[in-house]
Amino acid sequence: MRQVIKGNHAVSQGVRLARVKVISAYPITPQTTIVEELSEMCARGQLDSRYIKVESEHSAMAAVIGSASAGVRSFTATSSQGLLLMHEVLHWAAGSRLPIVLTNVNRAVAPGWNIWADQTDSLAQRDTGWIQIYAESNQEVLDNVLMAYRLAETVMLPVMLAYDAFFLSHTSEVVDVPEPAEADAFLPAFTPPFRLDLENPRMFGGMVGPDMYYEQRYAQHQDALRAADVYREICREFDEAFGRKYDLVETYRTEDAELVVATAGTVTSVSRIAVDRLREEGWKVGLLKLRMIRPVPRRHWQKALGGVEKVVVIDRNLSPGLGGVLASEVRSALHAAEAAPQVFAAVAGLGGRDVTPEDVAGIVRACREAERPGDEPLFWGLKTGEPEPAMEDGRHAE
Amino acid sequence: MSKCSDRNGIYPFRSWRDITPMLSSVGTMRHNRTGSWRFVKPVYADRVPPCQNACPSGNDIEGWIRLLQQGDREGAWWHLKREEPFPAILGRVCFRFCEAACNRSTIDGCLNIRHLERYVGDGGPHEADAPFRRPENGKRLAVVGSGPAGMSAAYFARLLGFSVTVFERLAKPGGILRVGIPAYRLPREVLEREFSSLRRLGVEIRTGVSVGDDIGLGPLAADHDYLFLATGCHQPIRLPLEGASAGDRVLPALDFLRRSAEGRPHRPGGRVVVVGGGNTAIDAARTAVRLGCAVTVVYRRTRPEMPAHDWEVEEALQEGIDFRFLAAPIRVEAEAEGGPLRLVCTEMTLGDPGPDGRRRPVPVADRTFEIAADTVLTAIGEEADLVYLADRLQTESGFLAVAADQSAGAPGIPVYAGGDMIGAERTVIHAVAHGKRAAVAMDCHRRGLDPATVLDGLAVGTGTGIRFADYIEAAPLSPVHREPRSVAGPDRIVADYFRRVPPTPVAVRSPEARRGDFDPYEEPFNSSTAAAEAKRCLHCGRCTECDNCRIFCPDLSIHKATEGGFGYTVDYAYCKGCGICSTECPRGAISMVAEDAAADGSQR
Repeated sequence: MRQVIKGNHAVSQGVRLARVKVISAYPITPQTTIVEELSEMCARGQLDSRYIKVESEHSAMAAVIGSASAGVRSFTATSSQGLLLMHEVLHWAAGSRLPIVLTNVNRAVAPGWNIWADQTDSLAQRDTGWIQIYAESNQEVLDNVLMAYRLAETVMLPVMLAYDAFFLSHTSEVVDVPEPAEADAFLPAFTPPFRLDLENPRMFGGMVGPDMYYEQRYAQHQDALRAADVYREICREFDEAFGRKYDLVETYRTEDAELVVATAGTVTSVSRIAVDRLREEGWKVGLLKLRMIRPVPRRHWQKALGGVEKVVVIDRNLSPGLGGVLASEVRSALHAAEAAPQVFAAVAGLGGRDVTPEDVAGIVRACREAERPGDEPLFWGLKTGEPEPAMEDGRHAE
Repeated sequence: MSKCSDRNGIYPFRSWRDITPMLSSVGTMRHNRTGSWRFVKPVYADRVPPCQNACPSGNDIEGWIRLLQQGDREGAWWHLKREEPFPAILGRVCFRFCEAACNRSTIDGCLNIRHLERYVGDGGPHEADAPFRRPENGKRLAVVGSGPAGMSAAYFARLLGFSVTVFERLAKPGGILRVGIPAYRLPREVLEREFSSLRRLGVEIRTGVSVGDDIGLGPLAADHDYLFLATGCHQPIRLPLEGASAGDRVLPALDFLRRSAEGRPHRPGGRVVVVGGGNTAIDAARTAVRLGCAVTVVYRRTRPEMPAHDWEVEEALQEGIDFRFLAAPIRVEAEAEGGPLRLVCTEMTLGDPGPDGRRRPVPVADRTFEIAADTVLTAIGEEADLVYLADRLQTESGFLAVAADQSAGAPGIPVYAGGDMIGAERTVIHAVAHGKRAAVAMDCHRRGLDPATVLDGLAVGTGTGIRFADYIEAAPLSPVHREPRSVAGPDRIVADYFRRVPPTPVAVRSPEARRGDFDPYEEPFNSSTAAAEAKRCLHCGRCTECDNCRIFCPDLSIHKATEGGFGYTVDYAYCKGCGICSTECPRGAISMVAEDAAADGSQR
């Protein structure tokens, strides 16, 4: 049924349809309304799920680690500082091979205190072993939840779904909410390959010595890599079931493109408009929508960008001392490719600052004119005016 | 399941492909005895609940309420009877220090302990011999005075095998219980039933015998091995009123109460003024109301300074009694011989606090007023009559001086004393405590033990209470206090673990109805209301097997006691001493103690 709902409630609907058994979360803006709606669903009896109240995000993740270890479908959601507080147990969840799904509403990291869109929080977790998928629309947010459980429970790795604060979390869009029967057919009940079992007592997460740790990590790495192909198959089945197409990467007007803009999150929608305008101006420009960031779908990125001269990666995040994380990832993925395109890096929209189609077009023009990428990313929109003259005592004039 | 480990800890592991998604092991970490990390250890403490600590007699309230909770009313009765001579009486007249200390009052209102005690006390079996009574020890005890102190000493001494005779000056036994406390608070049939229960144990009561007049202390001592004196304070302090010669229209409230109790009530006329602010004043005022009088209580200070219990003042107000505070009577005037009286009072104000912390009343110069009255009852205190002692025992400020073991010297034979005459706090339960301590002390004397040491060993909490049960029974009554001086106060209670349950309502007759007779006015608990109220007990400081410690222990080091046993054991081979069990114990029954100082509290 088509409904006009906010991105956060699209997640709640997805969790309801996934028949999640345990939910544990700690509220943080802009994530709060996800779990608010879920707690009400539990209270109203619309969702047969145990809602565990906790005192911190670390505890929330610990709680779902416990429930997932017991073999039941588990969910949590957070943002920014909350995700950072989970960091230690994020590693634990992945290392324990628990198919938890977490939605992270991308919000800037403090200080300065800022509740607006920025992807630094989730990208800072890219080495935790979690699969990461980014969304562009509320429909995609909902669909990602259903696909994420399929993926997580197939490769036995946790999945983090990321989408932008306010641009999606608090913006209403038309979302086709599947019927429960449809969702059940696509996502059957979870049968865990291992679980805490009183009849078969075992110790989980115990000591692993140098003789085995390396191989255990390698096995985890192999399953993470395998997740890319598994996900493509899940996307195909999803299309069959619901008539909506998704993929590891999605391209827009790249067939003959000389320059491709690569983005993740809501900047993608803006970029689509910019691409259309630049095409009207006669520029051969295309768009690459980055969906899965972990595992890095290296072959797919290489394939999508084959024959392209320039790639411009727009990052709504910053790794201080490096630059944009996604540009670094794309550059690294293309490094060994034959006839690899030049990778231009741009940083824009940190802390929720607007990125308009004009901004994207401006970035593309600047990169098109440049002969080769510079050492530094292009900090688009950075205020660089003359500073206010300081007064004698060091304060600035009013 | 896993190819990576097996029961022998051998790893037939060659390749990363052998790794299962989740590494698990059926091996154990038992070899890792984490108990060696510990520097403090949990021990089951069994602290003293604040109710028991506050009880002058050390009544094990939690113990009998626990039995009541289990539906064992008779068991609760016997449990009570190990520490108290007459629960049905105390269940009506006790000043309930226990309830004032109850931790539940910090949550949703204290437990109604006294009313529960009345329920247990009325249950009996009153006819049965005490199963814990010791065989005759061949020693004879004479008790002088059959009030609460005397009867308590008689009861406990009888339990210890003494042959006991109680000498009572009046025609009927009971002392202040009979002649001071009105029947609406203590029905006479309850008094009779409890005393006949003591008689059945073998306590002989001889009434109408005045020690001093009918038999001297000397001959009494010659006939007995021990003496316990408890003749109370029955000499009213006279109010120095000018013109107080208005015949029997100005009389002590205690005399008025006694005559009323003896069934020959003084008919006080229409308007009664009671002078004083203590319990005797309130008892007299409420008795007068029941005799149809309009009553005014005149008190020098204000309500907060009144020695009477606030709830009794409240009930007196409900019954229509008028209070004139900050008023000190100075003289009585009669309009004519036999005519109405005028009580002339000085207006008072409160000055600086005196030695007892209460602000002193100070007269306001030239401000007097009159109250019309037909009768004036004075209740400004009572003194002990020590004339019969004939200076053979040491006195102090008008009271008989006693040591901590209640002994008052040994002029010929060992003499002990208790109750109001020794100048301690003057309540029924204090008197009971004196009798209990004295009985233990004289038994120690008989056995050649040092009573001070024994009483100290029986002490419970920080007050005067002792555990008689532990003295009389070879195997101490469970649960034993492992920390008998440590009180489980509110800081040891984790209130979040307890559901809010307001006190069980007690039906009370309307003030209008109760003004018309001397019947009791509080309805008793029945089995279901008693169970509901008993269930509110927090069991402060004592394990109830709630399982919190076992559930919370992150090292699985707390185990249920083996079959048939109560409580838990701590496996110190693995307990890391984290203290979570102690923190999460809802009732403060687990202590963390330094390793080398750990008492043997490893089991509960």
